[in-house]
Amino acid sequence: MFENLSIPVGPSSCAEATTAKEAAYRIDYPLPAARNTRIIALDSEAAAIVRGASELEWGQARFYETSDPGTDLVTMDGRTVSLEGEIAESNTIVMVSASGENAAAMAHLGEVCYNRGIMTAGLAMTPGNLDSDALHNLRPHARVLLVPAEPDDLVELLWATRA
Amino acid sequence: MLRTEINELLTQTGPGTPMGDLFRRYWQPVLLAEELPENDCPPVRVKVLSERLVAFRDSSGRYGLMDEFCAHRGASLWFGRNEENGLRCPYHGWKYDVTGQAVDVPSEADNGNFCASVKLKSYPTVKLGDVLWAYLGDPDKQPPLPEWEAYTVPDGQVFTSKRLQECNWLQALEGGIDSSHVTFLHGGNLDTDPLFKGSKGNEYNKGDLKPFFEVVDYEGGLLIGARRNAEEETYYWRVTPWVLPNFTMVPPRGDHPVHGHFWVPIDDENCWAYSFDYHPTRQLTETELEAMRAGKGVHSANDAAYRPLANKDNDYLMDRDAQRRGVTYSGIEGIALQDSSLQESMGPIVDRTKERLVATDAGIIKARQKLRKAVLALQDGVDPVGNRPQDQKVRSVATVLPREQAFVDGIGEAMKAEPGKPHTSV
Repeated sequence: MFENLSIPVGPSSCAEATTAKEAAYRIDYPLPAARNTRIIALDSEAAAIVRGASELEWGQARFYETSDPGTDLVTMDGRTVSLEGEIAESNTIVMVSASGENAAAMAHLGEVCYNRGIMTAGLAMTPGNLDSDALHNLRPHARVLLVPAEPDDLVELLWATRA
Repeated sequence: MLRTEINELLTQTGPGTPMGDLFRRYWQPVLLAEELPENDCPPVRVKVLSERLVAFRDSSGRYGLMDEFCAHRGASLWFGRNEENGLRCPYHGWKYDVTGQAVDVPSEADNGNFCASVKLKSYPTVKLGDVLWAYLGDPDKQPPLPEWEAYTVPDGQVFTSKRLQECNWLQALEGGIDSSHVTFLHGGNLDTDPLFKGSKGNEYNKGDLKPFFEVVDYEGGLLIGARRNAEEETYYWRVTPWVLPNFTMVPPRGDHPVHGHFWVPIDDENCWAYSFDYHPTRQLTETELEAMRAGKGVHSANDAAYRPLANKDNDYLMDRDAQRRGVTYSGIEGIALQDSSLQESMGPIVDRTKERLVATDAGIIKARQKLRKAVLALQDGVDPVGNRPQDQKVRSVATVLPREQAFVDGIGEAMKAEPGKPHTSV
């Protein structure tokens, strides 16, 4: 039964390759482009949090507000742009909701992302509250939900995912 | 991605480090009870949180955990004679009780007075279930004894193993939080492992390879819910609790025992995985115990030093043919080793500045954030969570709920441990 087993061989062996000394030889090169994330606030309270995050320095993240039906987005400097255009190059959408308003917009975002294979995340900004309209309305459309999320969760998520 | 300074903050647990200070506010597993099986048995070296200690069980059955080295000349007390309620250094006969207090220094004329001035640093140690627990922190901050359900059930309902993992504790912990790897890495074991197979939940697991996740802030840590399609109107939920700083539980399957882990730092490049299986309402069967001792489920087959027999020196017994045929997804046999082989492959302390996390890693991201906040809060004098009985009386849950129901509502009391209450499982 042992004839199929790997035979540890020199530098290719796990024993040698997993040392701290060998870790120093991991090749170093510029990291790929930042994640193309779109962050969309779904109500005014969420918009304040998103605006705060937008003022930090990011790679390719872009920040918006929207309301029902969600076909258009509003940039942080007040321009109205189409959802379709803004997510064309995106690979992650982060929906931020505090009040749970604009459920139709959430559903539209979810549907568009599903059809395009775009990852969706949802932050229910309801500190201290485990159950909320925000949660219920985000749930069907966000592959990952933070419940309840705090304002710095948005920044942490964006940092960690290289947005 | 994690900045270098945050990575260092979270991964360094030695004395005087911020994370080390946090760990020193919790009772931690330090030995299996079987390692000190009887009064006056041989002492055992223990390294935990980068401190070298020696443990012994005295003539009266008391457990001692203290500085490994004799106060006189620094010889290791592992060589000591465990006799008449104390551990005696064989070099010059200095003897210590379980509190580290010198009780005999034969060379000194004024024996009693001199003894009173010699005390090795020691830590309170207790046996709960089949594990010995120690508290390495400030005596004034000592929390209540742990009340994890696995260690409050009657004898015969819990089995604990330990396994050396040759990487930093945080890499191991993050594997316990990361629910999204199960479908891939462990997928081959759901039908074959005697401690996993046969549950309806396994069918749901295999029927939906793209789960949704909800990461719920919980007072003692996090609840990570993985949601898969069940029937037309229902979802199958698997809920994994993480309690600060290093406790995770695996959601149950059928009537199998429930399992979980403590990821205990040995030093910054090694940790112990203390892995348990318990059943809240019945004795473990001999068949289950045999499987656990054989390294099935979350356990591993180990040598006498608790190092897995499949380890990095033998390439974890990598079987490329089994990998090709899909018998195992990675080619490594056994759930524990499937995890540890990959976590060790990252290096002793993975460089998190180079990682590329995705949204489904939200549980890991949130856990790191909570750990960092707990460390910083402790520096401001805020007591940590996770060391209180109410945080520890938690269960993992597997259940089927209506699609419109939040899992936190749906599982209700199911996640609260209570004596004799059946666990919620599918």
